[in-house]
Amino acid sequence: MKKFLLGLSMVLLVLGCGTKKPTEIPVGFIGPMTGDAANYGKLSLQAVQIALDEVNAEGGIGGLPVKLYVEDDEGKPEKANAAFEKLYGVNRIYGFVGPMFSSCALAIAPKAQAAKVVMISQSATHKDVTAKGDFIFRNVLSDQLQAEVFGRYVAEVLKIKTVAILYIKNDYSQGLAMDFKRVYEQSGGKVVAEETGVQGDKDFKTQLTKIKEANPEALYIPNYVAEMAQILEQAKQLGLKVKILSADGFSNPEIFALAKDLADGVIFSNSADEASVKNPLRENFIKVYREKYEEDPDAFALNAYDAFKVLVLALKNAYQEGNGTIDRNKVRDFLLNLQNYAGVSGKITFLPLGDAIKNVGIYVANAKTKSYKQIAMYKIENGKLVEVK
Amino acid sequence: MWNFLSLLVVYVEIYAILALSLNLIAGYTGLLSLCHAAFYAIGAYVTAVGMTAGGWNFWFALLMSGIMASILGFFVGLPTLRLKGDYLAIATLGFGEVVKNVIINWDSLTRGPNGINGVPAPVVFGIQFGFDTRFGYVLLYAVFVVLTYAVVWRVVHSRFGRALEAIREDEVVVGAMGINAVKYKVVAFSLGAFFAGIAGSLWAIYNQSVAPQTFDFMLSVMILCMVVLGGLGNSLGALMGTVVLVLLSEAPRLTGLTSVVPAQFNQMFFGLLLIVVMIFRPQGVLGRKRISYENEVARILERRSM
Amino acid sequence: MGLFHLSLAEMAQHLWNGITVGSIYALIALGYTMVYGILKFINFAHGEILMMGTYAGYFFYLALNGDGVYPWSLWLFLISMVGAMLVSAFVGITVERLAYRPLRSAPRLAPLLSAIGVSIILSNLAAFLFGTKSKRLDYPFQNETILLGSLAITPHQILIVVAAVVLMVILKVFVDYTKLGKAMRATSQNINVAKLMGINTDFIIALTFGVGSALAAAAGMLVALEIKIYPTMGTLAGLKAFVAAVFGGIGNISGAMLGGILLGILETFGVAALGIPQGLRDTVAFTILILILLFKPSGLLGKKEREKV
Repeated sequence: MKKFLLGLSMVLLVLGCGTKKPTEIPVGFIGPMTGDAANYGKLSLQAVQIALDEVNAEGGIGGLPVKLYVEDDEGKPEKANAAFEKLYGVNRIYGFVGPMFSSCALAIAPKAQAAKVVMISQSATHKDVTAKGDFIFRNVLSDQLQAEVFGRYVAEVLKIKTVAILYIKNDYSQGLAMDFKRVYEQSGGKVVAEETGVQGDKDFKTQLTKIKEANPEALYIPNYVAEMAQILEQAKQLGLKVKILSADGFSNPEIFALAKDLADGVIFSNSADEASVKNPLRENFIKVYREKYEEDPDAFALNAYDAFKVLVLALKNAYQEGNGTIDRNKVRDFLLNLQNYAGVSGKITFLPLGDAIKNVGIYVANAKTKSYKQIAMYKIENGKLVEVK
Repeated sequence: MWNFLSLLVVYVEIYAILALSLNLIAGYTGLLSLCHAAFYAIGAYVTAVGMTAGGWNFWFALLMSGIMASILGFFVGLPTLRLKGDYLAIATLGFGEVVKNVIINWDSLTRGPNGINGVPAPVVFGIQFGFDTRFGYVLLYAVFVVLTYAVVWRVVHSRFGRALEAIREDEVVVGAMGINAVKYKVVAFSLGAFFAGIAGSLWAIYNQSVAPQTFDFMLSVMILCMVVLGGLGNSLGALMGTVVLVLLSEAPRLTGLTSVVPAQFNQMFFGLLLIVVMIFRPQGVLGRKRISYENEVARILERRSM
Repeated sequence: MGLFHLSLAEMAQHLWNGITVGSIYALIALGYTMVYGILKFINFAHGEILMMGTYAGYFFYLALNGDGVYPWSLWLFLISMVGAMLVSAFVGITVERLAYRPLRSAPRLAPLLSAIGVSIILSNLAAFLFGTKSKRLDYPFQNETILLGSLAITPHQILIVVAAVVLMVILKVFVDYTKLGKAMRATSQNINVAKLMGINTDFIIALTFGVGSALAAAAGMLVALEIKIYPTMGTLAGLKAFVAAVFGGIGNISGAMLGGILLGILETFGVAALGIPQGLRDTVAFTILILILLFKPSGLLGKKEREKV
């Protein structure tokens, strides 16, 4: 009898644990904290931590603090799986920011969807990610859109007739390169050389020598900063004099530390900074970030900050509507209906599929001031390049 | 909590198949293979490509994964298994890198660095597997683990298995006795590769996508560590090693310490463990099992006298 | 197909590029080959040991020279390089003492796994101590490209080749003409006989590790100017240098030098001339490895060894 009572009380205890009153709102972050991409994970997490502090300083959600649970996916799908299962199963998160790599995003999106956990990736740009379900969002300028705008821009506005492309075989650069090539050639341009490298490559002299022989007007390098710094230096060493074009990866300020003067004058595409004149959201955020961490954020960190903020906004809304309980469907609905949210990464509106519509900005890098200047904003309307004033 | 734990169990099961099959190659036959992740990769991609582009059903894909991996094992083994010790290790290492590189570059087939996603979950006995049937995966994969263990056991406790152990102990003597050691080594290698391919297939349908980053040299090292930790040539040891290493690699997550422990400490601890085990207990925790020949002799004598 | 695609100018450029890359491989390969020659052991952590030394060299240079480029920067850089070499030598000797010596009589697998453990510890330690962002070293001179016709040569490349040649000559002289060098050769021929002859083999082994690590660190410093410094910088170069060592004949010092240069050239040409996609560039190295192991395991300059029963 004693044993039975003991067992029963234990069962009740365990059950009882499940119905405690919530003391926090759990939210997650999944990204590469170790491994080769650790730096990207760190930059994004830092941005999310700023957002977290701001949210909690304003009272959190309904007076409850928002708690951030961070898990490392090492840039690998199998680790991303474990990270998600832990965050969902143990911490019961309502939503999370991340993952950063498309391969990880593709692996856990179906799981997040089935668990009704909102996923907002700040950098996974593979076409199929958001198609995995309506709980899956991404706050990143789609590579396709970037390429659609930039391909036309280079052909029609810069009037460059021949381009060489040097891209890295990873899930970011390859997509951009291929889309750019298609759009640029459709717009009348000619790709005279196309070379590749592998992630981690340091020596591009062979590819650059071949590109030099093809004599292009410009070189498009839509890669991560480590490889681009190498390419810029080696191009100079080989005497390759061309206009350098790039994509949003170039917005990582580490490029100024790595490539110094060689980064000067590089033109690249990135999410448009619409608030720059009237409401300096982005500038302010960068200032805060710089003061706290002694380094600048990259484009993905900006996206991550906004992703976290809109997620909290959606949670707040659902909490209020539910009088203290959060209906996961309502969180998703809020995001789907989000229009023109003014964020540091631009104005955010989510398409039904979960992609953020963004306008594309054209930027020039200034190595002396170690900053970027937006020179124009574009969008695509009816298959044509339209400038946004 | 249970869902997270069931993920860990599934990982243990998949890695157990890898460890058991590598144990056959490295533990029983004494071949220093550093490319087990490559066969795992082949299996995973065969299933991924077959089920997405080819519309194969799961069981067929599973079988093909094993077969393709073992065919590759055969063709790689034939030339390289003539090499000894360190040379073999390096050759297999090189081979593993080549496979990964080919996967990344063969875009038309493997979708390159993006990997293949949308691999459908299987339908087993009429039950559609998926996110909600985690326990189903646990049970199904357990069957495969048992199967692998049984096959390895059968092989080891046969004449063929004894020849393998003899090759491990002293290949020159075996050659002098007229046995073609290379032939036996290639068969063991291909068999190990077969099961690695099966494990790859199981991974592909559990994860429902495959990407090249998963199958790197460190994975081959980790599987080898699972085998060595438990004791080379000891199947139970391989299982034990698998459990320990999976738990170890997920330890920060399990204990909720991911934000507290600096990210690199986990790997550093793993490296330290390797060195310490090698210096202080190289035979592994459970040691190497030796088939007792005294028992064998006694058995033969008993049979004779009946 | 093949070489006729390339103009003479392109071929010359690729050849020069290949020689500079090959010089780096050669310097690193020497460490592998010397250690293997004596212990019949592949030091998997060689790449990480050179990485540690390179970080040290980076800090030395920053402390000595600061941020700018001055007329004396090159000398300070060379001094920092020597500092890097000393640090790597120290790390190499320590690793040998702690992680390899206890396993000298153990079966082959043990020191191999121990070395892998060391390599994991070192690269993660570096990431933890120095961060994962790459560190940049300014060229200690104006690295203006010199154009000979259309052949682009940088002073950096000249520095690499000159430094590599100088170091290799010094090594050759040391090994062939000094008493210690003789002791090293004796030990690598037959360690037991060497012991009987009164050579302190433990000391010689430590010396070998020290010298090999130092040479690799020099390579690390030279190449860091171009590829920056980061925790995993030693891994791939280390692997390829190993291929070079095997290619030239593992255990043979001249072989390592030859193997390194040849590998650099073959790699560069293979990609350019034969149209091998750049992504498979590393595959060239590994394919060479497998072919060599199959057809001439003793390498280009090695001698065939009969396995004694």
